[in-house]
Amino acid sequence: MRKIFSILTVFLLVITQINAQTRTISGKVTDESGAPLRGITVQEIAPDKKVVATAITTEAGTYSIKVSERARELHFNSVEFVEFSASIVGSRGELNVKLQSKVSNLSEVVVTAGGIRTRKRDQGYASAQITGDALTAAKPLTIQAGLQGKVAGLQISATNGGVNPSFRIVLRGQRSITGNNQALIVLDNIVVPSELLGNLNPEDVEDVVVLNGASAAALYGSEASNGALLITTKKGGAKGSKPEVVISHTLTREEVSFFPKLQQQFGSGSTANFPVYTPDENQQYGPAFDGSLKPIGQPLADGSIQTIPYSPVNGKNSFWQKALSSQTDLSLSTNDEKGSTRLSAQFIDGNTTTPKDKLTKTTIKLAGKRSMARTLEMNYSINYTQNRYDITSQTGTIYAELMQTPAQIQVTDYKDWQNDKYSTPSGYYNPFYRNPYFLLDNYRQYTRNDYLAGNLDLKFSPVNWVDLVVRTGITTRNNSGKSTSDKYTYSDFAKATTHGSYKKTDVPGSTAESFFYSTRITTEFQAAFRKKFNDFNVRFTTGATIRQDINKSLSASVAGLVVPGSFNLSNTLVNPTASESNYKARQLGFYGDLNVGYKGYINLHATGRNDWVSTLNPDNRSFFYPAVDLAFSPMELFTSLKSSKVINSLKIRGGWSKVGQVNLGNSSTYGAYALDPTFSQAYGYPYPAGGGFTLNNTIVSPSLKPEFTKGYEVGFDATWLKNRLTTNLTYYSTRTSDQTVSTSVSTATGFSSYLLNAALTNSKGIEATVNATIIRKKDWDFTVGAVYTQILENKVLAITADISNISLGSGIYAFVGQPFPVIYATAYLRDPQGRVVVDGTTGYPIRDGVNKILGSTQPKHTLGLNFNLSYKGFHLSAQAEYRGGYSTYMNNTTAFDFSGGGLATVAFNRERFVFPNSSYADPLKPGEYIANTNITVRDGGYGFWTQSARTGVAENYVASGAFWKLREVVLTYDFPEKLLSGIKFIKQASISVQGRNLLMLLPKTNIYTDPEYSDNGSTSNGIGVAAIASAPASRFFGATISLTF
Amino acid sequence: MIVGTSCKKYLDINNNPNSVIASTPDLVLPQAITGTAAITNNDYSNGIGADLMYRANAGGFSGFGTVISYDYTNSTFTAAWADTYDNLNDYRYIKEQTDGKPAYIYFNAVSRIMSAYLFGMLVDQYDDIPYSDALKAAGALSPKYDKGTEIYKSIALQLDTAIIQINTGLANALSVTPFTLASDPLFSQNGPNMTAWKQFANTVKLRLIVRAGNKVTFANKNFSTDGFLTNDALVNPGYSKVAGKISPIFPYSATNTATTSSRLPSTYVVSFYDGSKLNDQKRGTVVFRNWPNPPTNQLGNETNPNPPSSPAPNSWIKPSINPTTGLYNTTVSGTDYGKVGIMKDYTQGVPLITAAESYFLQAEAVARGYITGDANTFFNKGIEASYTYLYKDGAGVVPSSGPYSAPVADATSYRAANPTSFLANYNLATTLEQQIEAIITQKYIALNMISMHEAWNEYRRTGYPSITGTGPKETFVSTVSVSTRPDRFPTRFPYPVTESNTNAANVPPGIDKFKTLIFWAK
Repeated sequence: MRKIFSILTVFLLVITQINAQTRTISGKVTDESGAPLRGITVQEIAPDKKVVATAITTEAGTYSIKVSERARELHFNSVEFVEFSASIVGSRGELNVKLQSKVSNLSEVVVTAGGIRTRKRDQGYASAQITGDALTAAKPLTIQAGLQGKVAGLQISATNGGVNPSFRIVLRGQRSITGNNQALIVLDNIVVPSELLGNLNPEDVEDVVVLNGASAAALYGSEASNGALLITTKKGGAKGSKPEVVISHTLTREEVSFFPKLQQQFGSGSTANFPVYTPDENQQYGPAFDGSLKPIGQPLADGSIQTIPYSPVNGKNSFWQKALSSQTDLSLSTNDEKGSTRLSAQFIDGNTTTPKDKLTKTTIKLAGKRSMARTLEMNYSINYTQNRYDITSQTGTIYAELMQTPAQIQVTDYKDWQNDKYSTPSGYYNPFYRNPYFLLDNYRQYTRNDYLAGNLDLKFSPVNWVDLVVRTGITTRNNSGKSTSDKYTYSDFAKATTHGSYKKTDVPGSTAESFFYSTRITTEFQAAFRKKFNDFNVRFTTGATIRQDINKSLSASVAGLVVPGSFNLSNTLVNPTASESNYKARQLGFYGDLNVGYKGYINLHATGRNDWVSTLNPDNRSFFYPAVDLAFSPMELFTSLKSSKVINSLKIRGGWSKVGQVNLGNSSTYGAYALDPTFSQAYGYPYPAGGGFTLNNTIVSPSLKPEFTKGYEVGFDATWLKNRLTTNLTYYSTRTSDQTVSTSVSTATGFSSYLLNAALTNSKGIEATVNATIIRKKDWDFTVGAVYTQILENKVLAITADISNISLGSGIYAFVGQPFPVIYATAYLRDPQGRVVVDGTTGYPIRDGVNKILGSTQPKHTLGLNFNLSYKGFHLSAQAEYRGGYSTYMNNTTAFDFSGGGLATVAFNRERFVFPNSSYADPLKPGEYIANTNITVRDGGYGFWTQSARTGVAENYVASGAFWKLREVVLTYDFPEKLLSGIKFIKQASISVQGRNLLMLLPKTNIYTDPEYSDNGSTSNGIGVAAIASAPASRFFGATISLTF
Repeated sequence: MIVGTSCKKYLDINNNPNSVIASTPDLVLPQAITGTAAITNNDYSNGIGADLMYRANAGGFSGFGTVISYDYTNSTFTAAWADTYDNLNDYRYIKEQTDGKPAYIYFNAVSRIMSAYLFGMLVDQYDDIPYSDALKAAGALSPKYDKGTEIYKSIALQLDTAIIQINTGLANALSVTPFTLASDPLFSQNGPNMTAWKQFANTVKLRLIVRAGNKVTFANKNFSTDGFLTNDALVNPGYSKVAGKISPIFPYSATNTATTSSRLPSTYVVSFYDGSKLNDQKRGTVVFRNWPNPPTNQLGNETNPNPPSSPAPNSWIKPSINPTTGLYNTTVSGTDYGKVGIMKDYTQGVPLITAAESYFLQAEAVARGYITGDANTFFNKGIEASYTYLYKDGAGVVPSSGPYSAPVADATSYRAANPTSFLANYNLATTLEQQIEAIITQKYIALNMISMHEAWNEYRRTGYPSITGTGPKETFVSTVSVSTRPDRFPTRFPYPVTESNTNAANVPPGIDKFKTLIFWAK
């Protein structure tokens, strides 16, 4: 009915329209951010393509045009924006339009390495730009979450769940075996520590420029081999725009999106051969569920024992809660003739799926720009972020212990561990694991994690071809933490009667305090010269940077409280233990950047930089690295191409670079003091009689030097079909040689590792982006896009003559001749035909004595899909990502098969079975194998699934890492201005609903985990191994209301 | 130039404020000796020997895996290998720092003795191991393996050299840096005792010679006149009830907490105390909790019948005696315990070689004709030394009164209480085989919960104590053993996975845990 009505309205309006003779249409033209656009051509074009009327927008972006009575639409044209047509049918004389800048407008100016501004046409390397709006559409809590799946070649993985997920950001695969592979983070032209990224307010971001490769980033020095993310923050509105206040509020609901797949058929028991029900057993190798009433646990002191139905309940999954978080954003921008200022704040009150875990986060930022005089310009920003966490320190343990809970137990019935007799630690049914609610309450961790980041950028332009820039930045992180566990004494009855160990060991109680700060100060001086010589456009920039990093930490702890409930270091039975560490590193850099353009269609760009670092020996501390790139725009050269209807712009580009990276430490040690062997006190020393030292276990090569990445890239950017289709394609190839690796060596050398320059890796791949504007009309706007990355080869080519592999932790290795990294772990013994060899008597498979390579953990294919649809005030966007061609490894067999909870354990209904595709040794002919069709495993229950023939074989826990994730879906409605005109002070209002990580599709083999998770942490190159160590993956639904005044 | 200098100054800040980068032999030796004690107790005695020879799984625990199946992988028992070489590297450092420095001749000698002790223990577990190529850091990243027999030969010579060095030091006492407790936590607790070091060296050498039998041609089978250990070689740097400084033997932490053991005494070992095979009430009382009825189990039995659970925290720490009743209390705590037997006190020393082991080695050496003397005397002294060790308190002193004050008399009564058994009365052993069985069986009893890896070594060499069947009192072997040997026992374990990962070219291939014998094994 409503639809008919609206069609009727249109019809009526058309009738009124036709009756008019000539009329005047006026309005305002703005860009996507609302800034007025000057010099836009507004035209009425007759069906015969003749221009009937023309107007040009004023400084304030306004226009006024007299159109004929036949006019149906107006056309808006300019070089820098996508051509736009708007219907004026039904318009009452006012038409305001927003123009979209051409996505790959080659004359657009972008910020690139060193804060140098260059035209896209001149860039000889791959880069991508993500606007602030695109970043924050789905209200992500961090910039990383907002960037996922949006840039070709950029892989962002959330490596854990919970209230504060960590992200790993890698461009173009991994190069360094043990060194840092994460992209360099540059905030307002200052290189900042990576961890700052997660502590910036995404709403403050103007745009993010991604420099995929080293050739683009070489100017940033020794960390640029990993590419860079250049983040420019908002500095207030454009000149002439009105002061603006934006307030928005978001409510987000979080729930677990993925539970490991568990069996629901068998309950407690742990006997081989014949299942027997054991009331207090957590292993689930008992008889099949039958719904009968059964006792659980052991009788308590008063003789009572709990009785529950012997049937599966979803008890362990319901432990995780559905959480609600709120986020409030506030910003104020003003501007005048001399500059602009923006003040913003964000408040987050966060909860997560782990009950009782809390985060509060406040971010305040002041930024702006100002012309001090005609020749002096200032840019500044200061950002303060305060995080407060109150979380349990036992999430991993709780998760693991939930996995050890039999399916008949309703975990949520045991919340009241202080009072309920069956829930107290002494009375809890499980003699091997503790009540998760007790763990949750008793083991807490409070963290204060604050960041202050500020920078000041002064540009002095004494003459119009010279810019002198001084830039200084400080980033400081201030962190303190306290962890507590109260003492708990088990009842004498529990101690005397219960099996298992933990009930007999009282919790002594403990508290620990830790403090650290880290500070980076960067100062840069830059001089830039621009000059035109005939057809040559020359720009030369030179600069020097100086950087200092300091980190200091202190910690103290006591284990053994005297008075319960008092968590002070003085409330202790034992002497507190304390430790400290200090790191300081410095770096000097000197660089030059030469850019020569010829007639606007060819551009040659070369950079060179020399670094001096404090962390290497004086002989090796200085190193130089160059980069060159070339961009060629044939359409500017061949005028015949300019009139093409198909292709609008084309740039062909290529670059070569060499970048050094000092790989000695991590982001808190900076590699300081890694060269000298050290001694430390051991085996309880010091004793009253004196001290006692042991040699440490690392051999350090005396001549360590930086590792170097040499690489090239070629590609093109093109726009087609009236700029409606933009495409780009890049091929890259890098080799990273002389890598500093800490190799494991035979412990018979007296040491366990050897730090030397040795290894070599390569990486080759393609990155492609396609964006298409399918519909662009006044009311309709529909765009789709795809980003695709394929890693063609990412291999470890050599380590050392003696060493063929390096462990990256938990079964993940760099292995010579293999993709990087791989799972290298235990596997079944297989006969020459690939069948699993079983024991001829027991039927149990036999484990191979040597480890095997079980798959690469680096995704080979990554595809991101974007979809945006607007109709009038409605905007719907979605973003999905696929990764495939790799494996993931679950490094926790206890949770699945030892516990008997894993789905795999019921594949044969706990009956004896013939091991699939197996053979056994021919007793008569050594070396030959007979296909196994009849030897069943001796025990199809406890005797097989919990034993090393199953749990000791890593192969069983390797699954395809492929996934499809629906990362974002956002629906926004902008209230029409008409509606708001009644309320004078509100300029814009919108509401949106959004979801993140709504859907995750996994192959059947992966019953274990979100493949993005990494048990080795976000900073480790040992990706692709997960454990039951952090909260399970979540999905988020939210709603936002936003008002602009 | 000025820029260059100030630039250099600006960057020359790489001086480590966190750890020391230089040390001295004086500071490394005491830590190394204390480390050797911890490794002997944790990795060898408890890590390897305990479950093989003396203990069984307790009720209420599961997941024993290779502990009861013996299906060892290259990840089983790897700590002993890594820790021993790590510890050896400290002795290598001491030796290199003191070579050619007469003032440090004791340090040099002791680094040789301790290295010999440790290499001997490694050979006993792995046979061929890196030795001549070992401990060379980057000089030999893939060290080659030497024959176990060659290593035995070489370390015996090192022990001879060490004794000569100590004698040289004693002859030049004024110019030699003497040992103190600060540098030597083994024999210098009450002032330097270089004779004890020589006796220790002789005893280590005796262990090699007795164990090697005729498999090794030693260059010198004689011993210095200092003789063998007559007292327990106990390392004690000053263990105390402070976190991290507690004797590795004692089960309680500084906060009075202890984890309950998942193990019980095996029914087999208790049969040597409770009268089943031998009657030894006194040592039974002092070794086991809840004597005369300690909970026991046969290794491997998890359900049939359900094994008893362990008393908290374990079966080898004695409660204190109630002064009014004269009976043992029922519970033990971190502040109230018996101070006798196996787990005595927070402060107790850790034995490297006990006097009992020294005497039983001498008894066997006499029986086999390697040294001269009276085997019966050494045998009896071995039993007495065992009583003495068990009766000592945390300070290493046998109390002058009370139930545990007369070890020699109690040892005599013990022999009298088993009048017909040659296992307790050496003179009743008529053949060499019976004599060896008596010596090794008594050694097995004396090493119970003390130096359990040596019992495992001796069983593999001699076949004693005897396995007479498959019942709980007849064998210490697991009921769920997968071993293919007649005794259903393993004979060694594979080389550690770190070796196959980092030194694959040199690791001896084809090691079979049930077939590949250590060179001296049966």
